[in-house]
Amino acid sequence: MGAKGGRAFEGLEKAALVAGAGLLLGACSGPQSALDPAGREAAEVARLFWVMLAGAAIIWLAVIGTAVFAGRFQKTPLGERAGLRIVLWAGAIIPTLILAALLTFGLRLMPVLRAGEPALTVHVSGEQYWWRVTYRTAQGEVETANELRLPAGRPAEILLDSADVIHSFWIPALAGKLDMIPGRTNRLVLNPERTGTYRGVCAEFCGRAHAFMAFSVEVMEPAAFEAWLARERAPAAATADAGAFLANGCGGCHSVRGTPATGTIGPDLTHVAARPTLGAGLLANTPANRRRFVSETEKLKPGVRMPAFGALESDQLDAIDAYLGSLR
Amino acid sequence: MNLRRRLSFRVTPRRALAAIGSALALALLVAWSGVIDIGASGGHWRITSWGLHWVMQNATRTYAMLEPEPPADLDSPARIRRAAGHFETSCAFCHGSPEHPSPTLAPHMTPMPPGLTQVTAKWTPRELSRIVRHGVKYTGMPAWIAPQRSDEVWSMVAFLRALPEMSGEEYRRLAFGEAVPAPAADPALEGCVRCHGRDGTSSGGAFPVLGGQSEAYLLATLEAFADGTRPSGIMQFAVDGLPPEDLTRLAAYYAGRGGVREQAAPDGSEGARIAFQGQPENDVPACQSCHGASPRRNPRYPYLGGQDAAYLATQLRRMKASEARGPTARVMHRIAERLPDQAIDAVAEFYAGQGRDPDPANAAR
Repeated sequence: MGAKGGRAFEGLEKAALVAGAGLLLGACSGPQSALDPAGREAAEVARLFWVMLAGAAIIWLAVIGTAVFAGRFQKTPLGERAGLRIVLWAGAIIPTLILAALLTFGLRLMPVLRAGEPALTVHVSGEQYWWRVTYRTAQGEVETANELRLPAGRPAEILLDSADVIHSFWIPALAGKLDMIPGRTNRLVLNPERTGTYRGVCAEFCGRAHAFMAFSVEVMEPAAFEAWLARERAPAAATADAGAFLANGCGGCHSVRGTPATGTIGPDLTHVAARPTLGAGLLANTPANRRRFVSETEKLKPGVRMPAFGALESDQLDAIDAYLGSLR
Repeated sequence: MNLRRRLSFRVTPRRALAAIGSALALALLVAWSGVIDIGASGGHWRITSWGLHWVMQNATRTYAMLEPEPPADLDSPARIRRAAGHFETSCAFCHGSPEHPSPTLAPHMTPMPPGLTQVTAKWTPRELSRIVRHGVKYTGMPAWIAPQRSDEVWSMVAFLRALPEMSGEEYRRLAFGEAVPAPAADPALEGCVRCHGRDGTSSGGAFPVLGGQSEAYLLATLEAFADGTRPSGIMQFAVDGLPPEDLTRLAAYYAGRGGVREQAAPDGSEGARIAFQGQPENDVPACQSCHGASPRRNPRYPYLGGQDAAYLATQLRRMKASEARGPTARVMHRIAERLPDQAIDAVAEFYAGQGRDPDPANAAR
């Protein structure tokens, strides 16, 4: 019985090990991985990580090797002079040299994160629990939310601040994180290189819905980006009736440009149907999810500032959903 | 020696158990036989009456410590007026009133419900609050229908404190309203009129203004009282048993009076700024974005212009504390929780000052 149990356990252990390794390796790529860089800054960060990892591995091997040598092979104690010499070299001089080299290597990266003549300026403000994104263009400002689109191969300057508490702006695939501090503007320059869809998150605990404060990042071909920005700049071109949206007071907090809805408290919804996610990266942007988000807001995102409108009549919710779905 | 041995009786554990068991069995036998008279007509033995009352007084004193602190303006006239009609409907037939001090029913109840002329001398406000909110077991005294409504319980306490000094005439005015009830053309309406008047006015801040209010809002509110989704010890009792067509008729009746309206005009005050622009710095949207005049607004959102200031402020504070329950009140919880106290008072004052529309023809529908 015991032996049989043992064998079964070994089998399980092996399966777990394989699955675990698979998971670990799987986590190295994907839309939110610093080890699968899609931009120059993230590539630098990834290189820094690998260099540090290699250095750490060598040091670890040296230390363990010394310990094994001392315990196994060096049976007679060293003299006092030899011992002191080892302490001096291995305990002070060599670590100082290694750390200084790694520090220099790391510090060298810092100016890179702020350098570059930007082709594009985007202001991102962290708010509990979403992202107000404003493109500053020659033709004026374009406001959107919970979505950042950038042209590949062009440096983009991101100006970061916060409307309430400290948040932190982190797109692991594009760059390291930078805090968003109320009353201060932090500057980050991104050089996205590979087109694709990535995910950004808030990396500083900011309240109950902190874990639900994410955004989607789309790195696009420059021409496609310009076309998108032009569409985003245009006022809403809704095909459905705005009646229920306006009648139930949605415009008190949300703006839909070109309509009487001019609220500035919550995310701008002018082109909400064209965004990939809802509720700051919480749900896929589908009709069913839009309806759920309007009626069960607080259940889906505890701590959210938007009230749930679940008490509205079903036909009102349908009409609001149809209207939001037509805001492309 | 022999005799002594015969009379001596040793208590062993087994004998003690047997004695206790027999006593219990005897008690059960008596209860089972049905000879205990539980009829109310016979009253209690004096010792039973004294014992029950003693336990009740002690328990009330102890549990009163769990009651909230009374409000600073406990004995305000508006609070007294608010509970008077409910007292007449649901308390007076047992406890009597200044107008009818010795109800016929009371002496036939066991225990007999006390008259309330000594109530202030005997109980503190928190003890009264305990009794009103939780009732008294083994008597006919029910608990408050909506025990979470401390505001209503304090209104009843305020009324009870005013009761010993109250003349019959004063009682009549408070419990039946200014107008002498006319012969009932609409019995359901006659119940409303005692507190809300024929025109749905606030009666000095005691009640919300109903006249001119959105019909859909009034109906949704009455339905919420009827099915208990909006808890109220007073209103749930008032609408109890009314058929749906009565609720529809009552909502239409008050909506057709003059009173509140959806129009409001900014007057430069802080309250007006909150009403029309909100407090974006606190993430508070403009009140008018839902409550403002618009041909397409959801008719279930209430009109605010001309509403009673004290009622608005109280409701906003209850929403701020997530206490207010109603069809659409939950929407307001998230908004009111970000409104500072001064802002609540300012915006309540602003809407109250918007003047009531006295002409039913102008009342917004």
